Formats: sequence, structure tokens, C-alpha cells
Amino acid sequence: MMRFSKYYKLLAYFVLSIYAFIIAGPFFMMIMNSFKSMRELFLKPFSLPSKFMYQNYVQAWQKASIARGYINSAMIAAASVVTVVVLASMFAYMISKYEFKGRRYLFLYSMLGLALPARLAVIPIFLLLRTLNLTNSLIGLIIVYSSVNIPFSAFILKNFIDSVPNELCEAAKIDGASVATIYRRVILPLIKPALSIVAIVTFVNVWNDFFFPLILINDKSKATITLAVSIFFGEYSTQWQLLFSGLTLSIAPTVILFLIFSQYFIAGMTQGAIK
Amino acid sequence: MKIKPRYVLMFVLPAMFLYTLFVIYPLFDSLRLSFYSWRGVGEKIFVGLRNYKDMFSGGFSKEVFNALSHNVYFFILVSAFELGLGFLIALLLASKIKGAKIFRTVVYLPNMIPLVMVGFMWSLFLHPQIGLVNQFLKAIGLGSLARPWLGDPNLALTTIIMVNVWRNLGFYVLVILASILNISPDLIEAAYIDGANNWKISWKIIFPLTIPTFRTLLILLFIGSFNVFDMIYALEGVQAGPFRSTDVLGTVFYRTAFGGLGSAYTDMGLGAAVTVFIFMIVMPMSILYVYLVERRDRR
Repeated sequence: MMRFSKYYKLLAYFVLSIYAFIIAGPFFMMIMNSFKSMRELFLKPFSLPSKFMYQNYVQAWQKASIARGYINSAMIAAASVVTVVVLASMFAYMISKYEFKGRRYLFLYSMLGLALPARLAVIPIFLLLRTLNLTNSLIGLIIVYSSVNIPFSAFILKNFIDSVPNELCEAAKIDGASVATIYRRVILPLIKPALSIVAIVTFVNVWNDFFFPLILINDKSKATITLAVSIFFGEYSTQWQLLFSGLTLSIAPTVILFLIFSQYFIAGMTQGAIK
Repeated sequence: MKIKPRYVLMFVLPAMFLYTLFVIYPLFDSLRLSFYSWRGVGEKIFVGLRNYKDMFSGGFSKEVFNALSHNVYFFILVSAFELGLGFLIALLLASKIKGAKIFRTVVYLPNMIPLVMVGFMWSLFLHPQIGLVNQFLKAIGLGSLARPWLGDPNLALTTIIMVNVWRNLGFYVLVILASILNISPDLIEAAYIDGANNWKISWKIIFPLTIPTFRTLLILLFIGSFNVFDMIYALEGVQAGPFRSTDVLGTVFYRTAFGGLGSAYTDMGLGAAVTVFIFMIVMPMSILYVYLVERRDRR
């Protein structure tokens, strides 16, 4: 790769450090101020808390119904991930490994959803769910998220299944394996990395979404974590110490998961967009 | 391999059923709804093209075009910053420096936070009197730069765009970096032998070879820019204050379709017309994206 002089590397470190500081600083300030009293937060915003007010977290936890939000979001995300992984891999398997009429058109049709923003269709989605009596329900959100995440997942999975040698499937077929057995015993084990990419991307998309819950949910007990915290922000807009602890709590799960599995996350999310 | 159609159906139908019912059909249904005037309950009144007339020349058009111009501004500024800075930082990272891995993790971190939460977080930091940004400027002796970042109509949208850059830049850095690292080292070796310096290599070799990546990113930025909503909602509310200076098509749509205190127009039909309008802007880019992706896929 490129060769650089010492000075250039020094400059690189300098610029990158400033950038890292701009990124990490706000996180640090958010966490630090979440432990202060309101008075201290306003008077000495940049100093460490003189006394750790962990009570802020207790209050925020109770008032923002964060526990409820975690549980709702976790259930929705888990169900959507499973649905997407299963349905998209079944679809991709057919498209990739078998010849049948209209295969190419079916693939192109599924790819239409790759770049079309589903939020533009939100009014009919809302009406459809209302007809089915599924507004204000977690099931409604699960169905919407599963549908919306299928095109991208199918596309990524098809790419991976394409790279599984056809001979392998044919050999299994000669040994008497059925279409479903080949899918379960040959394809799925071989595309595990792709399945985890798809699962991560879907999980993050669902966990972080705010738009669909905002429109489809108005019962507080059904709120996802993003919706729960945004309601909290409206109600306690003057109690900053609570807002900071609420924020920290709401983003902690994904941030912690990310710090542990960052390599997988980065690979998944960047591949997701650019493929 | 050959296969019986009924097996194909068994494997393909569940995914395609959901996708058709909740993605494709609703997009078309938006188009149908846009010809009606309807409050969401009660009678649907067919109004033909009236919603579109209102949008392009009626009283509503002022709001729509104001918002549209903000979307365009958003796209231009976000692209310049995220792709420009993204390329520069990716270049710095491409030189194998120590700690690059930690650095990558740090810059990507904000991407893990929901947009709406990033918005809330910065709404606290950017508060005119007690927000950390202005306090920080005062603390380091740059108090004259302190501003009501979100309260000044001339500044608010640009501020929101910068918050957006703060959140997303890491993603662009990593995608561009991946594409730089894909360039064959032999090519760069050869250039060194021919006497090229780093500057020349950056602009004459690396930059041209990453253009396909920029093209894809630009398309995604375009689609994203016409769908902005979460952050405006978190930082300026559905009224997109101050004085609609941060209004985008997404907030116009939300106010129109689902109401939002004091909106003069609340009508699902008109709201659907707004989404059809956004759709018409975005669709050519979506088709181009699918075309590029499919072409690369076939190679």
C-alpha cells in the first residue's frame, strides 16, 4: 500500500484524534451528566460529577417505561429476524439453485424493494393493519418489519447461495435428499456467515426504527424503546439529568453489543448498503 | 437443477406474499388514495387531480416547495461533507497506522444509535443557554461563536445536517476505505516506480478507482435525503421550526396525513399525494441502483 513519511503519519494521527474526540466527546458528556444533579449539570457541565446520582437511572427507568420498551423491541426484533432469515433464505435458495419459468423476473421483482423506501407506503400499511385489527399491536410491527427487510436479505443470501457448488446439491439429490432436506442440511449450514449478516442488519434496522412505531402504535404499553424514550422526552423536557440517563439506557444495549461484536457489525452494515 | 412448480411455490410464496402485500401493494395503493380527499374515517371523496393541483399550484404548494428546497439542500450538503470528508479520512486510514482497528470502531459507533435518539441527544447539547456546545465555546474563549443553533432560521437546517454528518460519517469512511483497500497494491507499487508522489497517487489512481463506490453512495444519499424525517422530528418537532425553516417533505407528509397541531391541511389523500411526489423523485434513482447492483451481481 501507500508509503508515508513520518510527518505524514503524525499529521494523520492528529487529524484522526480530533475526529475521534468529536465522536467520543458527546458520548462521554452524556454519560457524565447523567450522574449529576440538575443543579450541578447546569453549573458545572464539564466537570466530573461530585456525587454519583445513580438515582437518576432508577427514576428514568421507571418513568420512561424503559423495561417495557426493551421487552417490546426485543420481541419485535427477534420475531422479525427469525421470519426474515427463514423466508428470505427459502426464497433465495429457489432463485439460486433451481431452474423454473419466470425465475429472473421473480428475482427482479423482489429486488424492486431494495431501494424503495417503505415509509412512503405508510398510509396504506396503516389502513391495511387497521382493517386486520393489527394497529397498536406488536404483531403488526413484526409483519411490517419482516416484509420490508425481505428484499435486501434475499439478495444477500442469493449471492452466497450462488457460491455453493451446484455439484454439492446434485450429489445430495442423487443420495435421495429432498428439496427441503438439501435446503436444511446442505445450504443452511454453508451460508451461516450470510445468515448472521442478514440477522444483524435486520436486528439493527428494527431496533433503531422510530417511524413505524410512531405511526402504528399509540398505546404506551406497546411502545418500542425508541418510541418510549421519545414520549419521555416530551413529558420530562426540563429534567435534563433524567433525559441524559434515559438516553444512555435506551442506546446501551446496541452500543454494548456493538462494542463486543464490532467487526461483524461493521462487515454486515457496510456490505448491506453497498452490495 | 429442474424442479416441480409446486415446490417452487412452497418455498417462494411466503416471502413474496408478505413482500407483495406490505411493500408493493401499499406503494400502488398510495397512488390510488392520492385521488381522494379523506380524513381517515368517514366518506372518501373522489377529487381526481385536485390534490396534485393543490400541491403544485394551490396554497399548499408554498409549503411543498419550501420543503423540497430543503431536501435538495440537505442532499447537496450531506453529500459534500460525507463523501468529501469520508474520502480524506479513509485515505488517512489506508496508510497502515497503529490503532486503526480501535479507530474504526469509534467512528462507526454513532451509526448504532437510532437517528431519533441522536436528534434528542444533540437537542440537549445545542440548547442556546445551557447546552454544552455553547458552554464549551465560552469555556475555550470562543464565546463569540455561540449561537442559538436550532433557533436561528438561517442556521437550523445546516446544524441538523451537521448532526447528521456526525452520526453517519463513519459509515462512509468505512465503505470508501474498503473500496480503497480493494485496489491492487501492484498498481500503486508501479506508480511509485514511475516516480509518482502520494498526492498524485491519491488523485490519479485511488480517486478514479473508487468512483463506482461514490456513485452508489451518491444514489443512496439521494434516496435518503428525500426521506429525512426522524432527526427533524427530534430536533425541531413536526412544525419543523423555526418558521418552517427546517421543513422537509417527510415532515410535510406527517403533518398532512396524521395531523400535528395547527397544520392547516390534514387529509390522508393529500398526504398520499405527497408520498407519491417523493416516490416520483426517488424512483429513477432506485431503478438506477437496482440496475447497477444487478449488473455487478451478474459479473
